[in-house]
This record gives sequence, C-alpha cells and structure tokens, in this order.
Amino acid sequence: MTFLANLSRRGLLSVIALLGLAHAAHAQTYPSREITLVIPFGIGGSTDIIGRQLAGDLAKVLGAKINVENKPGGTGTIGSTQVIQSRPDGYTIGFVANDALVLQPLLNPALVFKSPDDYQPIVKMGYRSDVLYVRADAPWKTYDDFVADAKRNPGKMRIAIPGVGTLGELTVQKLNKVAGVRMVTVPFSGGGAEATLAVLGGRVEASAGSVSVGAGHVAAGRLRALAVFQRGKHAVFPEAASIDDAHGDVSILAEFYLFGPKGLPKDVIDKLVAAATQVGRSEEWAAFAQKQDFTPDVKGPDATKQDLLKQGKDFAERLADK
Amino acid sequence: MDPIEGLLYGLSLAFTYQNLLAAFAGAFAGTAIGVLPGFGPTAGLALLLPFTFAMGPSTGLIMMASMLYGAMYGGSTTAILMNMPGEAASVMTCIDGYKLTKKGRAGAVLFIVAAGSFIGGTISVVGVMLFVPTLAELAIIFGPGEFFALTAGGLLLLSRISAGTLAAGLLPMAIGLLLSTVGQEAVSGQYRFTFGVNDLSQGLELAVLAVGIYGIAEVMFVVESLASQGKPMRVRVREMLPTREEIRRSWAPIGRGTIVGFLFGLIPGPATTLSTFTAYRLEKAVSKYKDEIGEGAIEGVAAPETANNAAATSLMVPLLGLGIPFSSATALMLGAMMVHNVQPGPLLMTIHPEIFWAVIASMFVGNIMLVVINVPMIGLWVNMLRIPAYILLPTILMMAVIGSYSLRNSMFDVSLLLVLGILGYVLRKLDFQLAPLVVGVVLGPMIEKHFREGLYMSQGDLSVFWGSPIAVGIWSVVFIVVALGLMSRLWKRIFPAGEGEG
Repeated sequence: MTFLANLSRRGLLSVIALLGLAHAAHAQTYPSREITLVIPFGIGGSTDIIGRQLAGDLAKVLGAKINVENKPGGTGTIGSTQVIQSRPDGYTIGFVANDALVLQPLLNPALVFKSPDDYQPIVKMGYRSDVLYVRADAPWKTYDDFVADAKRNPGKMRIAIPGVGTLGELTVQKLNKVAGVRMVTVPFSGGGAEATLAVLGGRVEASAGSVSVGAGHVAAGRLRALAVFQRGKHAVFPEAASIDDAHGDVSILAEFYLFGPKGLPKDVIDKLVAAATQVGRSEEWAAFAQKQDFTPDVKGPDATKQDLLKQGKDFAERLADK
Repeated sequence: MDPIEGLLYGLSLAFTYQNLLAAFAGAFAGTAIGVLPGFGPTAGLALLLPFTFAMGPSTGLIMMASMLYGAMYGGSTTAILMNMPGEAASVMTCIDGYKLTKKGRAGAVLFIVAAGSFIGGTISVVGVMLFVPTLAELAIIFGPGEFFALTAGGLLLLSRISAGTLAAGLLPMAIGLLLSTVGQEAVSGQYRFTFGVNDLSQGLELAVLAVGIYGIAEVMFVVESLASQGKPMRVRVREMLPTREEIRRSWAPIGRGTIVGFLFGLIPGPATTLSTFTAYRLEKAVSKYKDEIGEGAIEGVAAPETANNAAATSLMVPLLGLGIPFSSATALMLGAMMVHNVQPGPLLMTIHPEIFWAVIASMFVGNIMLVVINVPMIGLWVNMLRIPAYILLPTILMMAVIGSYSLRNSMFDVSLLLVLGILGYVLRKLDFQLAPLVVGVVLGPMIEKHFREGLYMSQGDLSVFWGSPIAVGIWSVVFIVVALGLMSRLWKRIFPAGEGEG
C-alpha cells in the first residue's frame, strides 16, 4: 500500500504548501512549491490549449506542479494584470498573446502595464495565424463567394472574435479597408471557444479563430475553413484561401509569451527561461505544435522584450493609420 | 457500441482493484477538500492531476470524477453544520440546512444530502450516457440573447429566493449587483470602482464573499448568543438517520433537483451554483411544504444538493460531445485526457470508445464511492458539533482566514473577509436576506456580459433579447411566475381568511 501512503503524505505536503504556510522556504531551491500559471482567456480557446500543454511540459522539466488558472475577460488584461500584480517570487506566471500584452495597453490607457518595462518577459514560445470559419451548411463555398456577398451587403457579415480590442478586430478593420467591404466583429470575452459556439449556432456568419478551436469541428463536418489569415498554403487547411495573398498584408500573427511580474529574482528567471527554452525546442512540443498549427519561435527574455517593443510600434502605426 | 454494451464495457474497465482504490482515494480526498472553506474541487483536482499521469487514462479519470463528487458533497457539510458554505454552490444549503442542525437534525440532513447526491448523480449519468450526441447541441443554441433571458429573468425570480418581505430580498440583491461591478469590466477591461486600489482590480472573490457574509457573520452571532445566555452553544444529537416523514418529503425535491441540475450542466456557465439557486427557488414555488422552506425544511436542502451533483455530472456532456469544457473542473479532466494523447470532441466516441465509456463508468463508480465513504462518516461530522464553542469558533475563524488567504495569497482578501463578515452581520441583524446578495454577485457580471455581447451581435437591435423561441420561452416562464406571485398576494389581501381552493 505504498501508493496510498505516498499519496496521502504528498497530498498533505501540497495542501500545506498551497495554504502558503511553506512559502518562507523559498529562495534556496526554486521551485519549492507549486506554481500557478495564469491563462487570461477562457477554457478551450487556443491560449488555454497551448498554455495547458506548456504547463504540463514545464512541470516535468522544473520538477514542480503547475496549476493552470483561467482568468478570462477584458481581452486577456484581467488575468495579465493579476500576474503583473502578483508577488514576484516565480510562483505566479502567465501565458498570453500579444493582443493582451501589446495591443490592449494602446487601447486602454488605464491598464497597470504599458510596455514590457512593467512586467518581466520570460520566453516567447511562438506564433499562430487565425482561420476564417463558417458553418458547413453556409451558402458560401469559397472565400470569394463570402467576400462577394459581403460587398453586396455591407454590415451583413458578422465575424465572431475572442474579445474587444483583439488582433481579429484590427485584422477585420484592415480587411474592410483594403477589400472595400464592411464586415462587423462580434466580440466574445470568454475567448475562442465562445466565438466558435456562436458560429456553430448560426448566430454569426463566421468566426476568426485558431486551428485549436476549429479543427475538431471541421473534421466532424460542422464547420468549414474558408480562408486563413496568412500568406501561402496553410499546413492544416491547404484548401483554404489565403487572405494575404488576396489582399496584401492584412493579417497579424498571434504571438505567445510566458511572462511574470516585474522584479523576479535572477535565479528564478534563469530557471524559467532554461526550462521554457528546453520545452520549446523539444520534439514533443514540436509534435504538439504542429497539430495546433503553432509555430515555435523560442526567444530569451531580452530578445522577447525587443520583439514586444517592435510589435508595440507596429500596432501603434496600424491604429494611427485607421 | 450501443449504450448498454458500452456501459458494461466501461464498468469492466472500472471494476478492477486499482480503479476502485483510486475511486476510494479520490472520493475521500474530495470530501476533505470540500469541507475546507474556500478550497474547492478545482484546487483539489489540480493537486491530484500529477498523480493521475502515472496511472492509465481510465484510472486517472475515475479518481478525478470521484474527487469532484466528494468535493460537491463535502462543501455542503460545513454549510449544514456551521452555516459556512464551502463554496458558492452550497450557499442555498445554508439556509435550511443550518436551521435543521439547530433543531438537532444534522445527522438526518447529511444522510438525505448523501442520498440525494447519489440519486441525482446517478440519474444524471444515465442521461449523459444516452443523450451525449443530441444534448451537446443545447450548448450550441444558447447565445447571448438566450443567456441574457436566462440570467436577467432568473434574477427577477430569484429576488424572492428567501423568506421575508420583498424589500428584505431586493436590497441585498442590489448590493450584490453593485459589488459585482467592482474590478475590471469583462468585455472591455475598463476599471470600475477600484479607487486606485490594485487589489480591487480583480473584483471580489466569490468564495471570500460567501465565507465572509455567512461564516464570519455566523461566528459573531454565536458569540453574541453566548454572551447573552451565558452558557455554551446547545447542541443536541438525536438520531443519525432521517425519520420516515423526512424521507417521504425528500423524494419529490430530489427528483426535481435532478432534472434542474441535469439541464443546467448542459449549458455553459457556473452550472453547479446556478442549479442550486434554481432548484431552491423551484421548491419554494411548487413544494407542498413551501411555507416551511427557509425555516428549516428538508426540501430546502435536498433539492439544491441533489441539483449540484446532477449538474456536476451533466457538465461532462459539452466536454465529451463538443470537446469544450465549461468549468475549470472539467478542463482539468480534459488535461488528463490530453496527457494520454486523447483529444475530446465530436469524434471522441468513435475514435476512443474506451475513454468515453471509462469516463461514464467512472461517474457511476464515483457516485457509489461517495455514499460508501460518507454515510459512515456522518456520525463523525455531527460529533464536531459537540466541540465546545471556545475551540470551535476560533477554529472556524482560522479555517476561514486560511481559506481566503490561500485563494490568491492575498492579505487584502483576509481584510475583505472581515469587512464582509461585518456586512453580513449587520444585514442579518436588520432582517435582510443574504442569499439574494450572493445571487446578485453571481448573476450581475453574466447579465452584463451577455447584454453587451448580444448588442454587439445584433448591432444595437434590442430585439435580440427576446427574438428566439428559447428566449421567448424563458421570458414567458418568468412572466407567469411573477404574475402568479402577484395574484396570490392580491388574493390573500382580498380574502385574508380563505386560502384553500384555487
């Protein structure tokens, strides 16, 4: 019965640790208790799916438990704020995309974070592009049908996106401009899973979302991948049209970052960077990423910060150009 | 595989030595975790998750399902014995459960709750098993318009969730709605009522609120009664088992609770909590003993406690049918599946029948374990009431403080707990009801989110909120219930004596 004895002893230890009674024991060997990874989007969206995989892999490398906590709302800023305001001890970190970290501060000046100076970028994990989904029984068989109908009926096409002030919103605005159409975005603050439900239920005409949320429904014959927001052929949906090939540079990639509060101890940053880098370059991660159409692009903290700053500039230009 | 064949196959996977042991350990740990206030099933499952990686997928899932049910049941224990809800889903249980404890019926109530949880859970499993593919559609047809009708209409009905005058329910509900607006707004992320206090930007933690206004306020009340009476809290432990009368009265509420819970688990949102509100409100409307509910009636405990277990089970439908988990607990189970390289979704049943049926069987086994473990423990729990107040009260306070601190390691939440405790005490002193306050806090943000998202969708056209058949259905029910309530009041006013025929 060593299984049970072991279970109860370790269980008790983790309970004590969770209650925070053991947090004095920090420092000498990070991580000495479990880590919370905040996912600032709802359950079942791409941030959640990728983040949970990351949590599992990181936990193995670090030899510590990692609890995933979903904190959706405000296009990822509610959960991100929670991370940035947490105690900088490495036991609360976050995983989120550039719309929360870069775009939102430009749109919402009241946020507690404005630039990467206000938090600690840890590792950039990679990026992915969005897919334009419609219901499998929708009248538009091709992307051209869809755009033609949108041209004839301004305001008719409603595209579900995972929140106000997301990349999808910027992308559709630009698309409207270059394609001479007027499509509207419908934000669902719970994230990609909610936006997908809206198109499945026929409440909106289309959704712009990740492969992670849509591929299963495409395989089951409920959704059709009409177009992809990138250049060239798509790895998962080769039959879908490329929006950037059709209209020029419209799309913005969703880039994903592991980050923490400002003031993390150097040894903690080093450990997290090493662990996340190891995960990001592993074969298991590559296999997982391929299925999710996620392109690994692993960068250390300094390169990640430059990356974030550059995107800040790009987004600011794009907003000014509106 | 047809359902019966599949179930037998699933059970053959479940009834092995390791799997039963896993179910036992899971249900035991779950009950313990449910008893700790503010420390809910999600935290427990998260602790458990790494252990399950080493097991096979079915063993791991069985352990997790057992823990989930154990926690659902454990959360009601402190609510019944000490008026302290372990989590939002046991708030309704406090009202009648604690009054029954004061009447010396604690053992009987715990027994009925265990039985109700078992029945609700098991029937719900049958429903899940038979209807997964069809029921999954329900989650799809609910959009912002339907959700707005459900939550806003629900708010109207739930204002009368507790006894007392209309004002005694409406004012706390308004306070609850106000409290729910504190923090970053969900749709656009704007800050509201944070007054520059960073800790407020995340809003009020629901568990802190529930433990504060119920638990802390209750401690103050007990202290006060000790001071005025000068003798220790009177605790009587009569029979452990329910009387025949109590059993007879529990059947109907358990049946209604099962249906309510099952339906709520199918749609996205905090299903377990909402199902307890609805089940309780339904009893107040239709029970033969509705006048006793709120004053310590078994119906007021049996229905919500059955409902939350039924909902915890049917929550599996969207997970298994659509691959979309609607609660953090099912998200963790999803995590356990993904570790074994199984992607839940529309194709799960065809590609991985062994996993699908193992999950179904795990729910059966989990429900059985819940009864096996908890019925013998009732005596132990009830004996907790014999602990003298000078030990019990500081222990409750300590548990409440640790629980609220641990939610996000924040001393701010501990201060908040004490302030809310005082608020709860004052409101109760003034004869206001506390349950509507919790209802306001839970429903407020949902109403707002669905209202705003609905208007985005319809581009400003308000008819989106009553334009669909489902929304029309929900509003009709709300209208009928409100109208009947008003009419019966009018009736009583005109004919104060006669009540009988209707």
